[in-house]
Amino acid sequence: MYNIDLQSRTPIYEQLYKKIIELILKRELMPGDKLPSVRELAKELGVNPNTVSKAFQLLERDKVIYSLAGRGSFVSNVSPDMVKESDLADFDKAVAEALNAGISRSELKERIDKGVEIQ
Amino acid sequence: MIELKNVKMSFEDFNALDGVDLTIESGTAFGLLGSNGAGKSTILRLLSGVYKQTEGDVLIDGEPVYDNVSAKQKVFFINDETVQFGSMTLNDMRAYYKGFYPNFSDEIFDKLNGIIKLPEKKRIDKFSKGMKRQAIVITGLASCTDYLLLDEAFDGLDPTMRIIVKRMLVDAMLDRKLTVIISSHNLKEINEVCDTAALLHQGKLLFNRDLDSVKGSIHKIQAAFPEQYTEEDFEPLSVLHFERNQSITYLIIKGDEETIRTELEKKQPKVLDVIPLTLEEIFIYEMEGMGYDCNGID
Repeated sequence: MYNIDLQSRTPIYEQLYKKIIELILKRELMPGDKLPSVRELAKELGVNPNTVSKAFQLLERDKVIYSLAGRGSFVSNVSPDMVKESDLADFDKAVAEALNAGISRSELKERIDKGVEIQ
Repeated sequence: MIELKNVKMSFEDFNALDGVDLTIESGTAFGLLGSNGAGKSTILRLLSGVYKQTEGDVLIDGEPVYDNVSAKQKVFFINDETVQFGSMTLNDMRAYYKGFYPNFSDEIFDKLNGIIKLPEKKRIDKFSKGMKRQAIVITGLASCTDYLLLDEAFDGLDPTMRIIVKRMLVDAMLDRKLTVIISSHNLKEINEVCDTAALLHQGKLLFNRDLDSVKGSIHKIQAAFPEQYTEEDFEPLSVLHFERNQSITYLIIKGDEETIRTELEKKQPKVLDVIPLTLEEIFIYEMEGMGYDCNGID
């Protein structure tokens, strides 16, 4: 579930940081869930433990996770804004792709209206 | 901590190291990169006290290494030449290292050999090449030193052994702040295991950096601008390479993605793709930037 691409151009710690946020936004990790330890994750991924620590430190700084001395790291209560922001970012991406594929602005608008009506 | 201060190493008329300054903090996994003959193995041999430098200082935790048992007991050097134990058996070899390294762990040795099952009473010169390598690797891990040097690190190890070694390194780094120094010409391997890397070329250190900060430090850009710009028009940006093919401009620019985008957006491109370079590409551009011809450097 924490699979990352070791050959990617993106630093490993950054991929791991994003991956954990993604898992939280997809509700695969829920608030209060315990994360694997730095040791477990470094061994599973075959990477340097310093790299995993770095990702955890950033997640903690951004209040995505919190750690309890001697007990490990846990998922924080993620704010609804964060979830909303991520959903909107997905939407923006889809819009950009559609525009690139030659779908017009009016077609897209029509689509949104239709979608809203169905709901 | 490991310190090399203006280290020079000459063999008759050949300068293997030509004034190297390098500091390696404890607890890091450090990669030494470079082509054959760049000076990687010379650095490792100096750190393990096999050679005495011609000039400069080689220090481990502040102590000179050469001819200094207390410093040498902190270092284990895994290389192909360590197998001078021809007539010895694995048990003899273990006893030999146990006598030298005060923290040698029989428990770790037995645990590891429990996995690979090398014959303990067979003469090492009857071992295959891979088995010899395994023998020295498990002995090195069991010696529980503060510093572990791996020359052409994972060469000759099968995938299972690689995973075992990597996992052992994770434990040792977390449990006793082990410092690992790996020499390799394989960037892929260094990228997975190391957090810092240095590039050596002809006995000189070209650069020494945190790998994460290296990644994403140079970008490749493909853009279509409404006007025909020349290289000078991108002035505030650090352009390493400029090429134009009809309406498409190709650029290699040093800097983070956001800065590059913000600057290029001002020229209102119709298309703008900003892609980070791979570690390999970065190393090549950096070397070219320093005036080195990369032909022949792998």
